[in-house]
Amino acid sequence: MTKIAFPHMGDYYIPANFLLSHIFKNTEVIKAPKITSKTIELGTKYSPEFICTPFKYTLGTMIECLEKNADILIQMGGGCRYGYYAPLQEEILKNLGYKCKVLNLVSEGEPNLKRINKLLKKIDPKYSKIKALYYSFITFKMVKYMDIIDNYIRENIGFEIEKGSFENLKNQMLVTFSHIKNYRELKRTYKRYLNKFHKIKVHKPDNRLKIGIIGELYTIMEPFSNYYLEKQLAQYHIEIKRFTNVHYLLFEKAKKYKKYQKYSKDYFTYNMGADAADNIARCKYLCENGYDGIIHIKSSFCTPEIGAMPIINKIASTYQKPVLFFSFDSATSETGIKTRLEAFYDMLEMRKEK
Amino acid sequence: MKECYLGIDIGSISTKGVIIDNDNNIITSAYIWTEGNPVEAVKNLLEILKTKLPKEYQIKSIGTTGSARKLIGLMLKASVVKNEITAHAIGTLTFYPNVRTILEIGGQDSKIILIKNGIIQNYAMNTLCAAGTGSFLSSQAKRLGIDVEKFGDYALKSQNPVKIAARCTVFAESDLVHKAQVGYAKEDIIAGLCKSVVLNYLNNVGKGKKIISPIIFQGGVSKNKGVVKYFKEILKEDIIVDENSHLMGAIGIAVLAKKNKTGSTYSLELKNLKFQTKAFECHRCSNSCELLKIYRNNELVDSWGSKCGKY
Amino acid sequence: MSTVGIPRSLFYYYYSNIWKDFLDYLKIPYVISPKTNQDILNRGMKISNDEMCLSLKNYLGHIDYLKDKCDFILVPRISNFKKDNQTCTNFWAAYDIVKNLFDINVLHYNINLEKGKTLKKGLYKIGKQLNKKHHAIKKAYKYAIIKEKKRIKQNHIINLNKLKVAKTKILIVSHPYNLYDEMLGKDIIKYLIKNNIEIIYTDKFNPKITNNLSKKNFKDLYFKYSKDNLGAIAYCEDKIDGIIFLSSFPCAPDSLANEIAMRKIKKPYLNLVIDDSSSFTGLETRLESFLDMLGGPIND
Repeated sequence: MTKIAFPHMGDYYIPANFLLSHIFKNTEVIKAPKITSKTIELGTKYSPEFICTPFKYTLGTMIECLEKNADILIQMGGGCRYGYYAPLQEEILKNLGYKCKVLNLVSEGEPNLKRINKLLKKIDPKYSKIKALYYSFITFKMVKYMDIIDNYIRENIGFEIEKGSFENLKNQMLVTFSHIKNYRELKRTYKRYLNKFHKIKVHKPDNRLKIGIIGELYTIMEPFSNYYLEKQLAQYHIEIKRFTNVHYLLFEKAKKYKKYQKYSKDYFTYNMGADAADNIARCKYLCENGYDGIIHIKSSFCTPEIGAMPIINKIASTYQKPVLFFSFDSATSETGIKTRLEAFYDMLEMRKEK
Repeated sequence: MKECYLGIDIGSISTKGVIIDNDNNIITSAYIWTEGNPVEAVKNLLEILKTKLPKEYQIKSIGTTGSARKLIGLMLKASVVKNEITAHAIGTLTFYPNVRTILEIGGQDSKIILIKNGIIQNYAMNTLCAAGTGSFLSSQAKRLGIDVEKFGDYALKSQNPVKIAARCTVFAESDLVHKAQVGYAKEDIIAGLCKSVVLNYLNNVGKGKKIISPIIFQGGVSKNKGVVKYFKEILKEDIIVDENSHLMGAIGIAVLAKKNKTGSTYSLELKNLKFQTKAFECHRCSNSCELLKIYRNNELVDSWGSKCGKY
Repeated sequence: MSTVGIPRSLFYYYYSNIWKDFLDYLKIPYVISPKTNQDILNRGMKISNDEMCLSLKNYLGHIDYLKDKCDFILVPRISNFKKDNQTCTNFWAAYDIVKNLFDINVLHYNINLEKGKTLKKGLYKIGKQLNKKHHAIKKAYKYAIIKEKKRIKQNHIINLNKLKVAKTKILIVSHPYNLYDEMLGKDIIKYLIKNNIEIIYTDKFNPKITNNLSKKNFKDLYFKYSKDNLGAIAYCEDKIDGIIFLSSFPCAPDSLANEIAMRKIKKPYLNLVIDDSSSFTGLETRLESFLDMLGGPIND
């Protein structure tokens, strides 16, 4: 029996696990162990020198999965050099003595159904296409629901009256989601939990601080790689706005790009790769809509975002909004991040007071 | 009894303490080396302050800042614990309310703070690397066999500073050795070092920031006349260096402590205080967090470093 | 008459001849920035972002040099040459970065073959922007393109002939904008020529042949220029003695593509990464020992 596994990104292992285990009846889906400092250590050890950090995280997870006897690893992504990850990782793992295949489902940032079909056939030649389509539909809905709820949490978690109530309920929800069987059940559960979330008591003052987080997608979506930035901000009672999530990347990005381009045509004309252009438009949006500050995060050496940074700087100085840039690497010191965040918060408070 | 407030800035290299009165006047101050042991350094610092402080004063509030702020904050039961960026800005603003730009180069960190109408507008810190900071300069001074405090005088003598690649400490060091071997004069090399510190700072921390005068330069490196000279030359603006520039962080936190007084009185008698930290590694998950437990008079007051929140 | 500025970096090394012929034919005056020197590199370093790759920093330096010496600066934007033939994202973004960092008139065109934006359309657009008549542009384009085709053909023949020479042959895997740049890679070429080495260039092969071959080492390549590089390796690996990988710090596509190539090839190789603070003395030591290892003329 073949065993498949995939690297982590945020909480999205639940829908991914759901999808794979339903499509392939004869294969076992291995749940990758949670990302820890050991993962990144492993990844860094075998990665080339100036590679961006997601490569290290995913490589670390892959090795941990292979230790659990996985045969096929699934990788997604493209648009920048992310699309090159899969072949190199396969090569590195082979040199380490593991027998495995790394499949990249997305190439050049665009999902291509024909290509995906070909790759899925490699895993199980007899898989049913209709079933796959049906379960993908449910999976995408699940992703959408999760993203909606996450957005609500982000806006409110800083102001919860009883500490931990949002996080506990979310964990409950994730467990329930992982046992879903069909679409009706999913929708019902989602509605039930949405209600519960709305019922959590929050105290939101009118003069609260609002911050927008923009930047490179993996670092934004995997909390371990950004040193739990959102959690830290919530402790300062800040409302957080984040745009990037999987639903956005899969379904909204293509549609929104034209809008973004029109909206910020003074600052960019062409697509700049990955989310760079999107982030420029978002920066303008945050500046114009009463946000107090912007935090831009990325893994070090992320080329598209580096190209966007001077432009983001320019927008921010036109609107006189502060921007905090973070460039995370596997060797980043956590205290350094905390000091900078604290100072950023102090600055925003002082600006607000006057 | 008159009221006064204590501010302590515990940096990686030096520990600074300042006591101010209700009108922000400095009553007394002290400055000693940290020598890798903040707890001992603060104990010694308080001893010095105690002897210097006139008898009629009573400490009403304590604030801590700098890289060891949390630890010392716990030890002294401080009423305010703030990061050094905010502290520096507030300290400077109490003496120079019109300042627009603060340049700061310390032992491990360098930062720039932009101020408008008395509010911090924006700031930036170096990217977690010690290139072009105080510790870089003092290690190069050792290599050249010159006291780092005399660096400024040497630099002022030079007419043609040597070009030194200062993007990274490692590169700078190899470049420096190379230049010294080729046979450049010491003054020119030192002047080159000072200049490269300025260029590196403006290229790294000051990139994309509008530097508007009045400009204040502080931190340990501001005592170096060579660096000040090249800042003036490159920015083409006047640079103010306050004689208390190394104390600005401590003053700032003292001012903040004044605002946050709790009503209780503090004593500087700490000789008998038992303050211990115990480090251990937790193996409950593969995170292997390095935990630090802090005891005050044998009583556990806090523990740090846990990623999962169990402690 | 307005003057066009051409920065001698990045795109220059792919399109300079076409541009020159095209502008010459239309009698449009142009200035080309000088060969890269320390001053230009410093300018670039000052303007650019710390983490940008050295080649882009260099490019911005050239533009800074040109900004007050001409009326327009030519900055194309190149996205892809058909499907699965992208360029590096810096090539996508260069135009927008320049537009935001400098207050200058930019003459630009877009190459995106997937959406039908060809070089022909781009050059026509430029001609129109400079107030030239349609038929004149048409002639100029034809003139430039025919000359370019001849030149490319000749390059291919020269490069293939080099493979038959009896000297020690080294393939340099690099992007032309790094290799031929005066400050970045020229010293390496000079050093190799001085030591009687026959240099084979990856960018002077026929891409129609090499791009298909690149699949041998790396299946899912989609960056056009890494296809050129890896294809060239696959084409001539058994005809050469050694390979030098030369990339600028921190080049994104190279960091992965070169790494794979290094893991697959069997010939001895040397990996050089140029940084703004690396000096040639350091490179020289490495080159010398590499040549020693190949048993080149030093051992004779």
